[in-house]
Amino acid sequence: MYRRVPLSFVVLGAIGAAFVALPVLGLALRAPWGRIVEMLSGPGARTALRLSLEVSLLATVCSVVFGVPLAWILARGTFRGRALLRALVILPLVLPPVVAGVGLLQALGRRGIVGSWLERFAGVQLTFTTAGAVVAATFVSIPLVVLSAEAGFRSLDPRFERAAAVLGAKPGYTLRRVILPMVAPQLVAGAVLAWARALGEFGATITFAGNLEGRTQTVPLAVFQTLQTDQEGAIALSLVLVVLSICVLVALRDRITGIQDRATGTG
Amino acid sequence: MKRLTTLSVVVATLVLGGCSSSSSTSASTSGSTELTVFAASSLTAAFNQIGSDFESANPGTTVTFNYGSSTDLATQIGSEGTADVFASASGTAMDTVAKDPGVTDRTDFATNQLVIITPTDDPAGVSTLQDLTKPGVQVVLGAAAVPVGDYARQMLDENKLTDEVMPNVVSNEADDASVVAKVNSGEADAAIVYASDVASNTDVRAVPIPTNQNVVATYPIAVVTGSSIATVAKSFVTHVTGSQGEATLQQFGFGPPPTG
Repeated sequence: MYRRVPLSFVVLGAIGAAFVALPVLGLALRAPWGRIVEMLSGPGARTALRLSLEVSLLATVCSVVFGVPLAWILARGTFRGRALLRALVILPLVLPPVVAGVGLLQALGRRGIVGSWLERFAGVQLTFTTAGAVVAATFVSIPLVVLSAEAGFRSLDPRFERAAAVLGAKPGYTLRRVILPMVAPQLVAGAVLAWARALGEFGATITFAGNLEGRTQTVPLAVFQTLQTDQEGAIALSLVLVVLSICVLVALRDRITGIQDRATGTG
Repeated sequence: MKRLTTLSVVVATLVLGGCSSSSSTSASTSGSTELTVFAASSLTAAFNQIGSDFESANPGTTVTFNYGSSTDLATQIGSEGTADVFASASGTAMDTVAKDPGVTDRTDFATNQLVIITPTDDPAGVSTLQDLTKPGVQVVLGAAAVPVGDYARQMLDENKLTDEVMPNVVSNEADDASVVAKVNSGEADAAIVYASDVASNTDVRAVPIPTNQNVVATYPIAVVTGSSIATVAKSFVTHVTGSQGEATLQQFGFGPPPTG
């Protein structure tokens, strides 16, 4: 059914859409298309791309490994302070990344609460290392796994668990063989979003891990630094992130917004 | 429907109002004048002082500073053209602005030298430039193309230390202030920054570098072509290069402008 949209909405909506579309369009129009392959295969860009891939994938693994159990606790646990714990876990999502970086320094830096201890007894230093970049990326992306997985766990009918228990399955077995497979779509969605967030991480990384080619200079940091001397090179690298972001959106479609498009959906 | 129209009017007013008010500030000749100064981040402390001195000497004028890497600022001026005055930590960044959109009244107004800074407890035992080559010393520099980074690299080159120091570099920071911050927090063992950075900073330990091993950074200032308040911009430049400005700059650790 076609419904009339008020003119004021058309105008404001068009401004809103243009506002979001223009920067992306700007990147596409100003991109050095003729030399983009050559630019992206240069040693500097290749190093940054490989490091970004490595850091973002490791951060996704960490987010899933620690985030899924946390989501399970939040979904099924009954304890005081659960709402507080959830708010705390989601905090990195709304925290300015540079603040996250400063916080990470106080916690895990060489003079940090845990970091000084790590260095003294284990000889481990996170700042200025690839591990530090992974830590920064994990910090900002773990909430996305927790949110998505908890929503999945909550949507499950508890009768499946009871049925499994009645049939003699131990809780661990039920979790592995019954529950996790059923929430797999939400877990995958959470992991993909976490990966995209980790891939774009900038502020916490440069503050906590620093900026060194091949070690901590991920693509966003490389974009920032390249912009000083070579705007076209920065645009070329930016486009990689734009394309990857669009791929994530296409892959997840309805899962991000929870909205089913009436024109294509069945519900 | 009616309320929506009202909303759109409010939004439109805000948008248009925003435009008109910003254009009126830059065009005003009486009342309040807002001078926008883009300055190298190493000038932060000194220019904040100079800015408030200039404001009290010129009632009705507010000076707004945008600090950052001179190279970054030069790019921003080229693409946005919102600066009235540009004070750069390097001639190269000023050359960029001189080419586009152009400058007038360009004057070298200060010099700076480099120092090594370490955390106050000096964990890596750094007391000379050569000590930066010791294995395991975590050194932070400004990134290439950031003036403080370029000067540091030039100095290491001139002392034939590049090959030995570079493997110790753990981070290339986006601007001078970020370099200092990495040592301030105790994460890095040493960094090469401007002498002016440590003049008013007691959180780090400064290791002077002898003049024969050091390089001199020269700071140019100029009025950016296209400034709608070029007269005010020019008087700010005059203030910086004048005796009061020079005294303030020296108080913050800068050297006098090059002679000749």
